[in-house]
Amino acid sequence: MPPKAPTLCAICKTNRALILRPKDHSKLCKPCFITVFETEIHHTITSNSLFHRGEKIAIGASGGKDSTVLASVLKTLNERYDYGLELVLLSIDEGIKGYRDDSLETVKRNAKQYDMPLTILGYEELYGWTMDQVVEQVGKKGNCTYCGVFRRQALDRGAARLGVRHVVTGHNADDVAETVLMNLLRGDLPRLSRSTSIVTSTPAAASGDLKSHTNIKRSKPLKYAYEKEIVLYAHHKNLDYFSTECIYSPEAFRGSARALIKNLERVRPSAILDVVRSGEDMAKLVPGNDDDRSCGGACSSNVPAAEEEEGGCGSANGRTAGGEMAHMERHLAQNEAAAENELEVEITIPKPKKAGNKKPKANGMAPQKPNKQQVLGQCKICGYISSQEVCKACVLLEGLNKSQPKNRIEVVYDEKENQVLDGATNGMAKAALGPG
Amino acid sequence: MAVKDNNDIADQPCRRCKNNPSVLVVRTEPLCRECFVRYVNTKIIKRMESFRVRHAAPGQQRKILLPLSFGVSSLVLLHVLDFQLKTQSEKSGRTGFSLCVVYIDASTVDSSAPDAAMLQHVQERYPHDYATVPLQTLFELLPLDDPLLISLCAPDLPSTATSSDRISSLLSSLTSSTARADVLPMLRTRLLVEEAKQRGCEGILWGDSTTKLAEKTLSETAKGRGYSLPWHIADGESPLGIPFHYPNRDVLKKELVAYIDLADPPLSSLVHGPSAASTTTSMSSKTTTIDELMKNYFESVEENFPSIVANVVRTAGKLQVKETRRTAAQCNLCNMPVTDGRFGIHGWGGDQEDGLQSAGPSSGLCYGCSRTIPNGLR
Repeated sequence: MPPKAPTLCAICKTNRALILRPKDHSKLCKPCFITVFETEIHHTITSNSLFHRGEKIAIGASGGKDSTVLASVLKTLNERYDYGLELVLLSIDEGIKGYRDDSLETVKRNAKQYDMPLTILGYEELYGWTMDQVVEQVGKKGNCTYCGVFRRQALDRGAARLGVRHVVTGHNADDVAETVLMNLLRGDLPRLSRSTSIVTSTPAAASGDLKSHTNIKRSKPLKYAYEKEIVLYAHHKNLDYFSTECIYSPEAFRGSARALIKNLERVRPSAILDVVRSGEDMAKLVPGNDDDRSCGGACSSNVPAAEEEEGGCGSANGRTAGGEMAHMERHLAQNEAAAENELEVEITIPKPKKAGNKKPKANGMAPQKPNKQQVLGQCKICGYISSQEVCKACVLLEGLNKSQPKNRIEVVYDEKENQVLDGATNGMAKAALGPG
Repeated sequence: MAVKDNNDIADQPCRRCKNNPSVLVVRTEPLCRECFVRYVNTKIIKRMESFRVRHAAPGQQRKILLPLSFGVSSLVLLHVLDFQLKTQSEKSGRTGFSLCVVYIDASTVDSSAPDAAMLQHVQERYPHDYATVPLQTLFELLPLDDPLLISLCAPDLPSTATSSDRISSLLSSLTSSTARADVLPMLRTRLLVEEAKQRGCEGILWGDSTTKLAEKTLSETAKGRGYSLPWHIADGESPLGIPFHYPNRDVLKKELVAYIDLADPPLSSLVHGPSAASTTTSMSSKTTTIDELMKNYFESVEENFPSIVANVVRTAGKLQVKETRRTAAQCNLCNMPVTDGRFGIHGWGGDQEDGLQSAGPSSGLCYGCSRTIPNGLR
C-alpha cells in the first residue's frame, strides 16, 4: 500500500482497507473480507438449501486451493451456524507422479488440520490404470478425457463406499463461467444447461437394481465465488494448499474459454458472475428443458442429471483434450461440405420441439425431466449409470486394455493385469479383459 | 487477409472452375476471383429467398431497410443486393423488393464516425433510396410515452435541451467504454426500427457475418444477456415489432473483407475506417470493451476454425423462447423480453445481498442493462 491517506474499509469503516475485492472492487479490511466471503458461501448454501441436518458430506479434496478453501469454509460455517453436518474428505488418486502424490500429502495434512477423516481412492485400484500409465499409452493429447470420465465415477464410488450420498466439489464461479463459454464454443447445449446447475445428481438407474453408487448428489457451494477471492481467502487464512497445476494440461476449448474469462474479468469484474447468470438463463432456453427453473436449478425437485462424462477435470486448471478444436473443426467442415453438396439433409439443426408448452406451472417448482432425449440406464459391464449400453469409462478402459502391446508384457504388466482383475471384482472392466 | 494464406493449396488452380489460378483459400478450397465472388453472392442471395420476384405482388413494391455503416459487411451486402436486384430486373423486368439505405450519423457522440459525405460515392454507384439520419433524431421519433424517452429525460437537463444534448448527456453518464459500446448500437438499432416503420419498410437487413453473430453470442452472454440470445441472432420477428434478416449470416467476416478487394470494381474506396486487417487492440488497455474482446477472439478463431465459428451461431440458434413467454415485459433499454420479471441484478443465486432493492424492477432494466447503467436510467 502506498503511504497515502489510508482508505477505510467499506464495511466496518474502522480498519484500514487492505484488500481490493476482485468481485466488485470494493475496498475492505482483512477481517471484513474473510467474513463477507464466508457469509456469501453461507448465503449460497442456505438460499439453495444445499444441506440438511445430520447429513454426511464428502468433500472432494484435491489439495488444491478450491477444495482446501471449501473444506475450511464448510468447517467454519458448520460450527458457526450449527448446520449439523458430518464432514469427511474424499480424495481421488489419479496416479500422476510429481503432482498428485505431492498434493495428496497436502490433503493428509488438511485432514489433520480440520480434524476430518480422509479416504483416498486410486484410479489404479478402481480401473487398473494410473493416469501416468494412461498417458504412456495414449499420449498427452486426449488424456484429460480419461481422467475426467474416471474421476466422476471414482468420486461416486468413493462416496458409496463411505456411505455418503452427497459429494461437494470446489467448482468456483470462474469454472462455471468457463464451462458456459466452452460449451457454447463446442456447441453442447445439454451440458451447458447441466453445468450451470448448483446441484446435480447421478440418478438412480431406471432398473430396480440400485447399485450403491447411483443416486449420489453433487453440489458446488463455491459456484458463485470468484477464483481470485478463493486465492485471497486461502492466503489470508494461511491455508495449507498445493498450487502446482496438473502436469498434463494441453490447451483446447477449455483453455480458450479460460483465457476469455480472464480477459473479461479484466475488462469488467462482474463479467464472471454475469456469464454464470447468462448460463442459468440459457439453460431454461435449451429445448427439452422445462423453463420453470427460476431457482437456477437449485430446487431439490429440480435436479438435473449429471452425465457420466460430465465435469472434465475437477481441478480449475483442467484442460480437455488437445487438438480437440482442430478435430471438431474437421468434423464440422465435413458436415458442412456434405450439406453443401446436398448429400444429406441438414441434420445439425433438428426441428425444435415445442415441449412442455401446455404444462400447468406449479408456482415455478414443477418437477422437470431434463434432457428427455436421453434415457438413462446402467452400464452392462460395471452397472454405473449410463445413457449408453456400456458406460464411457468402460469404453475407454476397453480401448486401453486392447491396445496394450502384447510383446511388452513383462513383470510390471503382469502386475497391472492383476490390478485390472482387482478392478473387475469391483464390478469394473470385466469385458475389458477380453482378448487383445 | 485470407488471400493466399496457405501456399500448398493456393498454388493449385481454382477447385471450382478448374481453370483460373486461385487467388485465395476459402474453407480449404482454393478459388479464383470469379468463383469466390460467385460463392459469396450465392451465400447471401440464398438468404433472400423470401424476397424473390415471384413472391412480390405486381404493382406493390416491397421495401426493406438496409442500414449502411460504411463498414465492410453492410457495403458488401449493399453491393450483392444491388447485383441481385439488377439480375431480377434483367430476368423478369421487375424486382422482388426495393432498398431503403439508411445511414445513422452518430457524429455528435462518436468522433470516429464516418463523414456523411461518403454517402455520395455509394449513392452514385448504387442507385437506391438513401437517407442520412442523425442519431439524436431517435428522441424526436419515439412516441412520447416510450419508457426509454421518459427515462432519458435527465432531470438536470433544461426542458429546452436539444436531442443532441440529451444523447450526449446519456452517453457521458456511462462510466465505462464497455457500457458506451453496449448502448450506442442499441440506440442505433432502435432508431433504425423507427425509420423502417416510418418509411413503410417490412423488415431490416442487417449486415452481420457469421463471425459477428458468434461475437454477439458470446458478448451478450458475457454482458449477462444470455436470456435474450434467441432474439439476437435469429431471422424473423424481433421484439421491436419488425422482422430482422441477416443475409450475411453464412459468410465469414474474413470472406467479406476479401470480397471488398476482389469485387469488380473493388469496394475499398467506399469503406470507412480500418477495413482489412483486424485492429488488434491491447487486451490490457482500460478502453478495451467486451465487444472488442469478442471481436478479437473470433477473428483469431475464424483463421483456423471457421466451422467452429459457424457452430457457435448454430448452437445459439437452437435456444428457444417458449411461446408463452414471448409476451413478457421488455427491458426499457435493450427492448428484450424479460421473463418472470427478472429485472435488475438482484434476487438470484449469484446475488449475495438479500432483500436489496436498488436498481431493481422499478428501473425497468434487464440484468445486462443494469450492469451497463448501474444507477438505472435517470
